[in-house]
Amino acid sequence: MKKNILNYLIAFFIIISLNFFVPRLMPGGPIEAIYGSEVLLNISPETKEAIISSFGLDKPLFGQYFQYLVSILKGDFGYSFYQNSPVLKVILNHLPWTLGLMGSALFFSTSFGILLGMESGWKRGSKIDKFLLNFMIFSASFPSFFIAILFLILFGIILGLLPIQGARSIYSNLGGMGSIVDIIKHALLPMASLIFVFTPSTYIITRNSMISNLAEPYILLAKAKGLKETKIKYYHAGKNSIIPVMTQTGIRFATRLITGALFIEIVFSYPGMGSLIYNSIQLRDYPVLQGSLLVITILVLVVNIILDFFYKKVDPRINYAY
Amino acid sequence: MHISLKNRIKKDKKAKFGIIIVCVFVLISVFGPILVKDPYHFSIDYLRLPVAGHILGTNDLGQDVFARLVYGMRASLLVAISAGFLSTAIGTIIGTLSGFIGGAFDKVMMRIVDAFLVIPAIIFIMLVAAFLKPGIMTLIILISLFHWQGGAKIIRGQTLSLKNKNHIVSSRTFGAKKPYVLMRHIIPDLGNILVVSFIYNARAAIFLEAGLAFIGIANLSTISLGIIMHNAMKFYYLPVWIWWLVPPGIALSLILLSLTFIGTLIEKIIDPRLRNA
Repeated sequence: MKKNILNYLIAFFIIISLNFFVPRLMPGGPIEAIYGSEVLLNISPETKEAIISSFGLDKPLFGQYFQYLVSILKGDFGYSFYQNSPVLKVILNHLPWTLGLMGSALFFSTSFGILLGMESGWKRGSKIDKFLLNFMIFSASFPSFFIAILFLILFGIILGLLPIQGARSIYSNLGGMGSIVDIIKHALLPMASLIFVFTPSTYIITRNSMISNLAEPYILLAKAKGLKETKIKYYHAGKNSIIPVMTQTGIRFATRLITGALFIEIVFSYPGMGSLIYNSIQLRDYPVLQGSLLVITILVLVVNIILDFFYKKVDPRINYAY
Repeated sequence: MHISLKNRIKKDKKAKFGIIIVCVFVLISVFGPILVKDPYHFSIDYLRLPVAGHILGTNDLGQDVFARLVYGMRASLLVAISAGFLSTAIGTIIGTLSGFIGGAFDKVMMRIVDAFLVIPAIIFIMLVAAFLKPGIMTLIILISLFHWQGGAKIIRGQTLSLKNKNHIVSSRTFGAKKPYVLMRHIIPDLGNILVVSFIYNARAAIFLEAGLAFIGIANLSTISLGIIMHNAMKFYYLPVWIWWLVPPGIALSLILLSLTFIGTLIEKIIDPRLRNA
């Protein structure tokens, strides 16, 4: 556990340092790199002085780095001239949408993956198993944003079933239940795309561990005792097959989930972190871009730490490995 | 390894499919540009649905979408080969040195690798690339710089197990110097592992390039599959959109799928335990 936390700390410092040094290494200096030459032309010399001293750009590099660290820890990610508001506030407006999307997609893709994986592993070699396995391998190879585009075309445009943009209808006066239904409707397509992309990894791991668990003697014993098929399938073999889903998907899953969510949000103009990053790239709003990437990094690290913690609760064998 | 590659491929339908697709990709990338129109040529025939002369229609600048698709596939292949090669090279250098030298050097390197593994490469690249507005070459270098860690870890593991094999120990007792053993015995013995690492790195590079371009982190005046899709995204309200957006997406998915299949095939050759799974 200690070793892992050290990894996260190092990773965090690499990101912070990149965040700090890259704009300072750009030709034209950090102010031009961060705010763009357009902004520099439009601000008065006094404002420029104020920016320089507020970032401590007149101080030595080491002092600047220290000041940067302190302000990050205080939650001060800078100021966005495009949005005319502190970066943290902008990010906090967008973050909940991403978290909601990710959380629900995580829940559904894991549930589907586990259920389908159990069925598939139980009936190994059957037609259903072969179909599911091939389908999952196939769909796992699609880039997340292309899946999102296909969903958008099929359900949003050709069938016209669901809204294709945003997180809620604008200019509509829906109260209470109406607005909840509206939000769910808007979230359905992005969520479906995320679920589609992330079910395969859970499925494949569950299926493999189901197959190896079914070969264990305790299954034979359970059968000999005359237990019901459903009980053996879900309670004996199934329960043990869930452990590797947590332990093996872990880190890579968390990071892929977050980047996948970013791409899919862009396709559906869903107002989360992905769209924020996309727009800030279009506008060259670098303070927001840097802040968003930093927040996402922290998110990835926190999710990974939580997963790490859960592994040990779920599978006591992990503790012996350290 | 006494396994005939030919026989394995014959039995494996997916690998066959993958190899055929990759060959088609290579053929299109090499010969396509001779056959199609100039992808940069502007015309007043903009946003056309497919007609004779423009198989996939034209974009907002009147450029032939099919020609751009062919050039985009070429760009993806270029990214795949060069970033795949570069990142595998970095991974091999760090992995073999780490495993071979061991000690404090190994500990420090592995700590760095683990730290890099925790954060998605795409975030690192976005952070740096957003300032650089990179063309394809810069992007290839960035992808390679931030996507070698997985390969390095596997290669290090393999180097550790090779290090104690008889032929390497005996070559050391015959007085072979460390660099000689590394170059002459360890790296050639890694063989297929390097091939798998190359294929997966190439696959990741294609995906990263397309993803970054799709978000808009790229020099948008160049052509790649991701950039075509990025440009098309703005026109979702026009019927021409589907013809413009879906073909590059399919091309991208097909090449990713093929590389996965080929990678799995070689993994199965290396590790017989995977064969029945």
